[in-house]
Amino acid sequence: MDAKLVNPFIDALVAVMPQMGFEVPKRTKMGVKNQTCKSLGVSIIVGFTKGLRGNVVYNMSADAAKFVASKMMMGMPVAEMDEMAQSALSEMSNMLTANAATNLAAMGYTVDISTPSLTVGQDFQIKISSENYLVVEMDLGGQIMELNIAVQA
Amino acid sequence: MERIKVLVVDDSRVSCAMLANMMSKTNFEVCGMASNAADAVLKYQTLRPMAVTMDMNLPDADGIECSRRIREIDPDARIVMISAMKDASLMERGREAGISSFLQKPVSPYELIDALSCIVSDDVKRTTGLRDLYIQSFAKVLRQSLFSLVGVHSEVSTDRAEGSYLDIPSGIAVIIGLTGCPMGRAIVYMDTDTMYGVARAILMKGDDEKLTAEEASDVIEEAANIIAGRCASVVNDLKDVDMRISPPGTIVGKNIRVANFKIASYYIQAQTRFGNICMNVGFAEGE
Repeated sequence: MDAKLVNPFIDALVAVMPQMGFEVPKRTKMGVKNQTCKSLGVSIIVGFTKGLRGNVVYNMSADAAKFVASKMMMGMPVAEMDEMAQSALSEMSNMLTANAATNLAAMGYTVDISTPSLTVGQDFQIKISSENYLVVEMDLGGQIMELNIAVQA
Repeated sequence: MERIKVLVVDDSRVSCAMLANMMSKTNFEVCGMASNAADAVLKYQTLRPMAVTMDMNLPDADGIECSRRIREIDPDARIVMISAMKDASLMERGREAGISSFLQKPVSPYELIDALSCIVSDDVKRTTGLRDLYIQSFAKVLRQSLFSLVGVHSEVSTDRAEGSYLDIPSGIAVIIGLTGCPMGRAIVYMDTDTMYGVARAILMKGDDEKLTAEEASDVIEEAANIIAGRCASVVNDLKDVDMRISPPGTIVGKNIRVANFKIASYYIQAQTRFGNICMNVGFAEGE
């Protein structure tokens, strides 16, 4: 996978999250994974077609998911991953992915994105690629979101 | 309800009768039939139908030429081609002549109604009714694919998905994104025993031959990919749109839970001798 394809996703996070009241996300780690990503508790999978094909997974712990959902709902307490929380997270993934798609278009990759699939649980692995792909860990103000980026031209 | 007038162009009386019969139970009605291109152009001029179904083989010209002549009279004419053969070159030439949808004989009632509904609606996008029709098409694709891939007969049923989650206690779920129109996602899933049974059948391995969990899940992933690809092709054929599928995201494990959130979601279940092979299809709401 081409490392330059990671930047549009990081840029999207840095641009979008502060608009929703988060601190500017910081990149804490970057690495390579092979084929599968282990669900941390809540994983949101988005499919890509056209100019790039593949999957992107926004992966986080249940606590991080609740933190994100709560923040998006103006600080409303989130005790469990109910429909409201899912709604907030799906909305976040839509915003991030749409923003990343715009960034990709500026690089010459026109992409189509699928609706996000939100999975809950941590006893499973998600195979999102048949080869190595890149993973970036972002700090959203004390909570970690892992971006698994497995797309290619 | 006002009925929508359709002109049927086909030189076979049997085909005409079949199409008229299919439409009789809907809000489409056959306002006229033409058995050759010259007659079709004449009838189009006088009847001004909302849509035309066009056969490829006519005695005096082919369906593409006939469509071209009709579009000369009315550049907005809406034409569905129904032909025995359907290939890329025919579709390309057809599109140039202004045909907006292509069906292959024999046409099922829901394919026909879906295609007609699509072309008469200015907004080429979905309605709930259309989604229901897709699900019926997908159910057919699932049954046919299981037969050709696994060699197994199945009883297929469909249902609207209620509840906010799809839960799989232990097994495999292959998530495939659908992009374009309509946008959504498909999940092919089954329990662990069914996964092994189906994978063995596809690989033609006996019960005593070794099969690892990874091999089994790879086989199911590929099968799901094929099934979703065929489903997308059906939608593209009906509507001449560009639905594509993303590469699969495959989950193997326990307590798999996928949210059915903000999507109109449906279950398609195939009962086979290996166990139930299921598909959950969701389309984005409120596009």
